[in-house]
Amino acid sequence: MPVLTRLRRPGTRQAGAAALTVALALLLAACGQNHPESIFHHRTDFNRDVDYLFKILIWAGTIVFVVVEGILVWTLIKFRHRPGQAAPQHVHGNTALEITWTVIPLLILIMIAIPTVRTIFKTQAKARSDALQVEVIGHQWWWEFRYPQYNVVTANELYLPIGRTVNFTLHSADVIHSFWVPALAGKRDVVSNHTNYLWYTPDSTTAAVFNGACVEYCGENHANMRFKAFTVSPADFESWAKHQAENAVGTAAPPATTAPAAAAAAAAPGTKTPATPAATVAQAPAAQVTQAGFIAYPRDSIPSYAIPQTPYPAGLTFDDNLLGHGDPANGAKLVVGQGACLGCHTIKGNPMMVGVVGPNLTHIASRTTIAAGLYPNDAQHLARWIKNARVMKPKVLMLTLGMGQYDPVAKTTMKSGLTDQQIADIVAYLQTLK
Amino acid sequence: MATAVATHAHPPTSTGLDHRKIAIWAFIGSECMLFASLISTYLIYKGRSVVGPFPHEACDPPKCATHLHAILNIPVTSVSTFVLLMSSLAMVLALAAVENRGKPGYEGIMGSSKLWLLVTAILGTTFLGFQAYEFTSFVHEGLTIRTNLFGSSFFTLTGFHGAHVTAGVLWLVTLLAIDMKRGLGPKDAILVDISALYWHFVDVVWIAIFTLVYLIH
Amino acid sequence: MATAAVSPAYAHAGASEKSGVWSWLTTVDHKRIGALYLYTALAWFAIGGTEALIMRIQLQGPNGHVVSADTFNQLFTMHGTTMIFLVVMPLSAAFFNFLIPLQIGARDVAFPRLNAFSYWVYLFGSLFMNSSWLLGMAPNGGWFGYAPLTTMAYAPGLNIDFWMLGLQILGISSLAAAFNFITTIINMRAPGMNLMRMPMFTWMAFVVQFLLVLAFPVITIALVFLQFDRFFGTNFYTMTAGADPLLWQHLFWIFGHPEVYILILPAFGLVSEILPTFSSKPIFGYPVMVYSGILIAFLGFGVWAHHMFAVGMGPIADSVFSVTTMLIAIPTGVKIFNWIFTMWGGNLRFTVAMKFAISLVALFTIGGISGVMHASPPADLQQTDTYFIVAHFHYVLVAGSLMGLWGGIYYYFPKITGRKLSESIGNWHFWLTFIGVNLTFMPMHWSGLYGMPRRIYTYDAGQGWHIFNLMSSIGAYIQAVGVIIGFWNLFRSRKNGEIAGDDPWGAPTLEWSIPSPPPEYNFAVIPTVTSRYPLWDVKSPQLTAEVPHSKHGDERNDVQVGGKHVAAFHDHLSAGTPEGGINPNAKQASTKVPLKTAEQLGIPMPFPTIKPLFVALFMTFMFGSLILIHKDKTDLAITGVLVFAAAMTASLYLWLTSPLEPNHT
Repeated sequence: MPVLTRLRRPGTRQAGAAALTVALALLLAACGQNHPESIFHHRTDFNRDVDYLFKILIWAGTIVFVVVEGILVWTLIKFRHRPGQAAPQHVHGNTALEITWTVIPLLILIMIAIPTVRTIFKTQAKARSDALQVEVIGHQWWWEFRYPQYNVVTANELYLPIGRTVNFTLHSADVIHSFWVPALAGKRDVVSNHTNYLWYTPDSTTAAVFNGACVEYCGENHANMRFKAFTVSPADFESWAKHQAENAVGTAAPPATTAPAAAAAAAAPGTKTPATPAATVAQAPAAQVTQAGFIAYPRDSIPSYAIPQTPYPAGLTFDDNLLGHGDPANGAKLVVGQGACLGCHTIKGNPMMVGVVGPNLTHIASRTTIAAGLYPNDAQHLARWIKNARVMKPKVLMLTLGMGQYDPVAKTTMKSGLTDQQIADIVAYLQTLK
Repeated sequence: MATAVATHAHPPTSTGLDHRKIAIWAFIGSECMLFASLISTYLIYKGRSVVGPFPHEACDPPKCATHLHAILNIPVTSVSTFVLLMSSLAMVLALAAVENRGKPGYEGIMGSSKLWLLVTAILGTTFLGFQAYEFTSFVHEGLTIRTNLFGSSFFTLTGFHGAHVTAGVLWLVTLLAIDMKRGLGPKDAILVDISALYWHFVDVVWIAIFTLVYLIH
Repeated sequence: MATAAVSPAYAHAGASEKSGVWSWLTTVDHKRIGALYLYTALAWFAIGGTEALIMRIQLQGPNGHVVSADTFNQLFTMHGTTMIFLVVMPLSAAFFNFLIPLQIGARDVAFPRLNAFSYWVYLFGSLFMNSSWLLGMAPNGGWFGYAPLTTMAYAPGLNIDFWMLGLQILGISSLAAAFNFITTIINMRAPGMNLMRMPMFTWMAFVVQFLLVLAFPVITIALVFLQFDRFFGTNFYTMTAGADPLLWQHLFWIFGHPEVYILILPAFGLVSEILPTFSSKPIFGYPVMVYSGILIAFLGFGVWAHHMFAVGMGPIADSVFSVTTMLIAIPTGVKIFNWIFTMWGGNLRFTVAMKFAISLVALFTIGGISGVMHASPPADLQQTDTYFIVAHFHYVLVAGSLMGLWGGIYYYFPKITGRKLSESIGNWHFWLTFIGVNLTFMPMHWSGLYGMPRRIYTYDAGQGWHIFNLMSSIGAYIQAVGVIIGFWNLFRSRKNGEIAGDDPWGAPTLEWSIPSPPPEYNFAVIPTVTSRYPLWDVKSPQLTAEVPHSKHGDERNDVQVGGKHVAAFHDHLSAGTPEGGINPNAKQASTKVPLKTAEQLGIPMPFPTIKPLFVALFMTFMFGSLILIHKDKTDLAITGVLVFAAAMTASLYLWLTSPLEPNHT
């Protein structure tokens, strides 16, 4: 039998050891970080059930790992070739041993299977009948949320009352998506031609913001189909829902006069209180809520991980000086006019704005992000979004609207279109839609 | 290297069977999964079509624009099924004729492998004729492969089967040509044997299709 | 070990070795086809690896923008498709081709020309699918291609056409090869090589062929539906017609899960060859190893829906698939323990091949443990479609399959080329790969559990994912360096490696009884086998004393073949004598005496032929023509299909009517 000399490569080994040390150091550093989307947050009954299973799985896995690798490493050290070693004994099997390592894994698996099956049936039982119903509709590439009990339709930002079970009914408008807020619960696919359900009870004691995402590959912008979930106190939730159910600012006047009314209502940019008599009726409740009640998660308490940091795409410029001086009245005209927003968007109360292809804009200003969590909802981002959404987020249905802008989907340059000033007006208007 | 000279150009096979026989069985195993997938899809989509025509039930307004009757013609298909079954019988006789060439009892008509191959091919072609008739009449009644889920899954399933029958007929015609040219004897039996296995398989698949698609409502 | 002055590889080159491009295009020799598979698959490995590297550069930090979303989606789709269908499966096929006939004592596969055809279909299919890169329209629907995202409504480009047609073509290659190997293993074993004496690699290969034969038709049909939908307007995945998108998922995973075992079992087989050799001990619990392989394959058909726990199948289906999935862990665990106990008490020689094999045992365990974690559906809902899953299956397929296959390459390179790969370069290759693999894929467990979804081309800052992605990227760069070193080793050792001799490692199985590289006929005399370790029986009989033997050939002595009693055939080939085809001094003999040619020995070898290549080429063009339908050139597409179908049929006719070999009737 040919005998190979034992290989000694101290250099290689040292390099390997050094690399492993660095890796471990990095890993330790990593573990000390903040992980807002960790599945180990126990903010719901669902995640605590999963965590119980995870504990079993991780402990069983760790024990198996240590035992197997321990025996392996020990074998490698103990039975390494030594010069002059006699030929080994040729054991070719041992029935007792083989039965042992068949039975032990079986027992471990039974230990995992029983709580697994129990949890399956618990989490997939029917939700309690007094649960908050939320319809989730997946679109390429944004989320529509409907609260049928509150007559609310919103997009990309989910409000959940603490302590109340929420039952999601999941539909898809196109391809398969998957609905997931890791810190709250497991995911459930949003399957075309199917209705799926998912329920859990957010029961943390404090209000919080969670990032959610689509986790089933759904096309080009799969990575940019994000959303937020806000857990708030039941009272704040009721207040939020009541406000969301209302018509948009300045649209409660009789339908025929809506457009001018809205324009007038929005005449005073940047103020929370309506400035013109025409809008007083419409604004009164909203204004009250604005002052007294909770209409949106306070911007200044949103943690940094929930504020998008996506950079502007290169080459998309906007004269930011125009922002803040926009004319909301003109903006209100533009959304139903040259801006052509009416083709796809709804602004509740405005009879012209009843499109359902895109997100509902009734209370767009109460949301913290645009483009399905891709950009913060501020004037700069909103303006660029309106100017050329298809550069901000490739292949979206939202049209390229800025004059002279290149539309990468239609592969044409916009000969007509909105000027930066007009866009600033629209932004000013949208920012009144609290 | 060992100096012994091989005494046998090709060692005997491990099973004593021809390689081709093993291969055709593996192929048939694979084909089972192919047809199982097709048949399952048909069954899964059964009753899910949103527009008519439907296989077993009529469709009237308002569900369908006009009255559409149940589309499957079971008596006609029963005849074509019988034809295909008979072709398997002819195939058995063709194989027996080749295997037993020259043996007593295989003179005359029983030993005429050409006749039985021809009969098998003709019966197979007849079955295909029935299928062509069926497809044409369905199209006339408004069911194409694009109409609904039933149309897509039905035409794909039976079309795949028809393609297999067509391949089988071509195979039989090739054997017939060889038989006419130089005659098929017992040493060629494997050629007929594997084609027979294929033919019987295609026949059995049809029994499954006939039962699951046509007979069971 | 002794190194001969004259290279055995070239001692007989003048006499029978054919060379030149034409000889490779026309070859029907299973060993040369194996080599073609090996080198082609390694080329695709370089490309698939490059695709992965670009993705790792993009994901190295948050909001990366090296490539666009669409390019990234093409990259991950093609990375998966390439690594599965163009790298790991063909690398396995390289070993099937090269090893199965040698390990069972046969002179070729059952259908040599069909074998050449399988390779050419693989080559042309892979070129066809990747030609989409030249158009900038590489497939972008994911390797899993979930409908309805792949239907015309959501994917109007040619991307998906290239993918589905390419997969259909590759499926034909795999199926043709599988029929061939099943027949070869069932029907061409040497006398005495009964099933329970077959080397473990051949056993696992045998199991894999059944998986291929039974799993591929299912994806074929799923793809046929997609083709019909895209080309002819059928409704299989048309949501407005009431279609069920889960149809695709079920069909895909009924194929897709057995596919996992198609990818891993060959590597298991190689490891089961390598560990005994370098431990100088027989495999521990051979029958259990065989049965566990069969059981894994069998259970593999009953677990597909564990890929679908999130789709909402209901609690009963979830529970059933959960339990069946957990059951698979048992035979897999048995394999791990049996490998460890193969080494236990052995005389372990840590060659590079051995290191790769051991790392499969060590690292596959990690993939197995995380596999059990996803088997629990409620927990899986927090894992599926995240980087945790990416970590899991890379531990299975990179740390498992690829490590095993690299081990196989180091182990069998001497037999393939006659020269050994450099151990010192190989050590760099191994350690960089080992460190790189762990540094790449271990942190992905964390990024997944911390909420990072799969298949995203970018991610935002502040999510706590950055550090893990950075580690993964650095790991990927280290792997790349390791692979480049490995390629360099292959390249240089081909001409400059240490000359190997027949049996450089002291292995127990038949392939090491013949010269390296083997003559085209493999065995001058077909050996007779009396135990699982025929070469140890001859070289060190004391080592196999406890292994079951039969004294006089085996039960096949009583088999009637072609009307003749075959016992006579065995008599002069009884075990333990040099005339038994296994020559204990073969090394010396082969270096001194030039090998006889097949003609001199009177062994009929198949003629080389170009026809399978043409059939494969025309078939690829025939499928490829269909793409023109989506260029609004339906007439041209139909013409193309008909012309190439006719050309294919004509080539096939010439193939079938030309004789396989001399004096063969």
